[in-house]
Amino acid sequence: MRFWHKILLAVLTLFIAALDISVIMVMKKSWQLNMESEKKRAASEQLLIANNIYENLDSIRARGNPLTSVLLASVAESYGDYYRRQGIGLELRENGRLVYPQPDGGAAAPEEQSIRLSMPLPDPYQHIELSYQREIGGLYEQQQELNRFFVMINWIAGPVLAVLLFLLIRQLTKPLKQLSETTRTIAGGDYSNRVNLHSKDEFGELALNFNRMASVVEQRITDLSDMAEEKQRMVDNLAHELRTPLTSMQGFAELLTSANLDREDQMKAGSYIRSETVRLKNLAFKLLDLSVLRHRLPELADVKVARLFAAVGQTERLRLEENGITLQTDSSIRAVRGDPDLLATFLVNLIENAIHASAPGSTVRLLAYHQEGEAVLEVRDSGSGMTAEQSKHAFEPFYRADPARSRIHGNAGLGLSLCRQIADAHEARIELHSVPGEGTAIRLFLQLYNN
Amino acid sequence: MAHILVVEDEQPISDLITMNLKLVGHTYSKAYTGPEAIETLKQERTDLILLDVMLPGLDGFTVMEQIAPLHIPVILITAKNALADRIKGFELGADDYIIKPFEILELLARINVVLRRNDQTPASFLCDAVEVRFAERQVRVDQEPVDLTAREFELLEVLIRNRNIALSREKLLELAWGYDYAGDTRTVDVHIRQLRRKLGWEDRIKTVFKLGYRLEVQV
Repeated sequence: MRFWHKILLAVLTLFIAALDISVIMVMKKSWQLNMESEKKRAASEQLLIANNIYENLDSIRARGNPLTSVLLASVAESYGDYYRRQGIGLELRENGRLVYPQPDGGAAAPEEQSIRLSMPLPDPYQHIELSYQREIGGLYEQQQELNRFFVMINWIAGPVLAVLLFLLIRQLTKPLKQLSETTRTIAGGDYSNRVNLHSKDEFGELALNFNRMASVVEQRITDLSDMAEEKQRMVDNLAHELRTPLTSMQGFAELLTSANLDREDQMKAGSYIRSETVRLKNLAFKLLDLSVLRHRLPELADVKVARLFAAVGQTERLRLEENGITLQTDSSIRAVRGDPDLLATFLVNLIENAIHASAPGSTVRLLAYHQEGEAVLEVRDSGSGMTAEQSKHAFEPFYRADPARSRIHGNAGLGLSLCRQIADAHEARIELHSVPGEGTAIRLFLQLYNN
Repeated sequence: MAHILVVEDEQPISDLITMNLKLVGHTYSKAYTGPEAIETLKQERTDLILLDVMLPGLDGFTVMEQIAPLHIPVILITAKNALADRIKGFELGADDYIIKPFEILELLARINVVLRRNDQTPASFLCDAVEVRFAERQVRVDQEPVDLTAREFELLEVLIRNRNIALSREKLLELAWGYDYAGDTRTVDVHIRQLRRKLGWEDRIKTVFKLGYRLEVQV
């Protein structure tokens, strides 16, 4: 049974019951009042008749005539005839004996629909008793008419009320229906659906809170599926990263041992085995770094920027020379707070990426400066840059903006993931700005040492 | 032999495949991206395509859709062994698939199967004075028919199809006798000796130390 059905039935039942009970009570009261006034009227009329008879009897007695039954009957008859026409029956008993009307004549009116009163005549005629019987069939008829009218009203008011209630309740419970429909679509998987309800009542409040809840759920679901997607991508990528070098190593080794190769092909196969081994080694070490970093807290210390830059420059000197790229360092702060080894790893990784992205003859800049209370380490190149889409994925493990190119360098695609983990370990913010064709800048926002 | 287009974005794998194709006598072209593959197909008559699924530019499936009208047999190379990929590949009309990492002999075997199915295998093989006719299962030396047993012929065919690659005795047993053959590897030695004698191939069929035998032919 639906909620609006229940309300409709409950209200309808209550209303009709209340209406009927009050109407019945009013009718009963009116019946009572009518009866009372009829009785009063009857009593006063009876008294009037009794007085008249008394006076008649008095005057008869004054004339010296004895009061016989016949005389009594004739007196009574003169009144009786008159009142009978008005629907009033009279009876006169002398010492309990009926003298008017004659026991055989004058039909007595039906007992239920009449008022019957008996009283003795005043002194000295107390042995004479006057009975008054008044027809009140009209009253009953009137009451019955009212009853019929009441039933008719019930028959008409009931359905009219039901229809009006139906329309009203439908209107009032519309928001519920809307809420229910929205929850159903959300349960069906469409998390972006919202309740479109702007009333100020409880329903409006419910809708508002519901929408808030739906937003939070949607956000969570999106986050979770993004995370799951990233994980899946990482596993796929790892599988790919492993399969490709393994396939070529296995294949070239097979070729070297079993095939009739010429000298040139032998050299080629050997050098592929070597380069793919290097690639696997890089991958293994980077993965190891990542996993170590996940379980290790950085040892925060006062890191002299000049010394850090010198160490990084020294590490990358050979690679820079090989690629014909100049490293330009510029520092306006003395020290930062961080783990010296991790920060060096961070910068080395970024510089290697910068080298791969840059054309021979260009410059990679390594900067340290102060900005809004934070120390910033920045690596900036004027290389190929990345699109917005590429930048979005840049920090994901195994993501390569330019796969063909970075594989030539034996790059595992883990450099930036490592950088992000180092930043996380320092609770530092990392920012990437890249414009295709213009270059990339990556900034790490660290605590200033003197703070 | 057949002309094969190798579409593979990983340089080492591409070189590995083509080196093997060269050994067994196929000619080849290389493409590293989807669009490059389509361009090459427009210009060259190609008997078979080895197609990597994960390609930069266009993926392997898209390439297949675009080259469908050419009706060239395709073997998919995929790093994923996901069933869905395989099914999609077959739906698009791939003839076979091979999963990385793969063994060279397996790849060559699959290439042969697909070529044979498409009637692309050569009818005969010529080397020195020996002529092998595959369809008729006949071998002639200096135009004179040579009598070979069925098993000897099978062995010869395996050696020719995988020429310049050393095959272990176990591998030869598996390929020429079948998986369920429970014989000794010395059976192989006996048959090889027979072949050498009958064809005068003492120098062609080399014994590779610790490995097995190799039919050496100029590439």
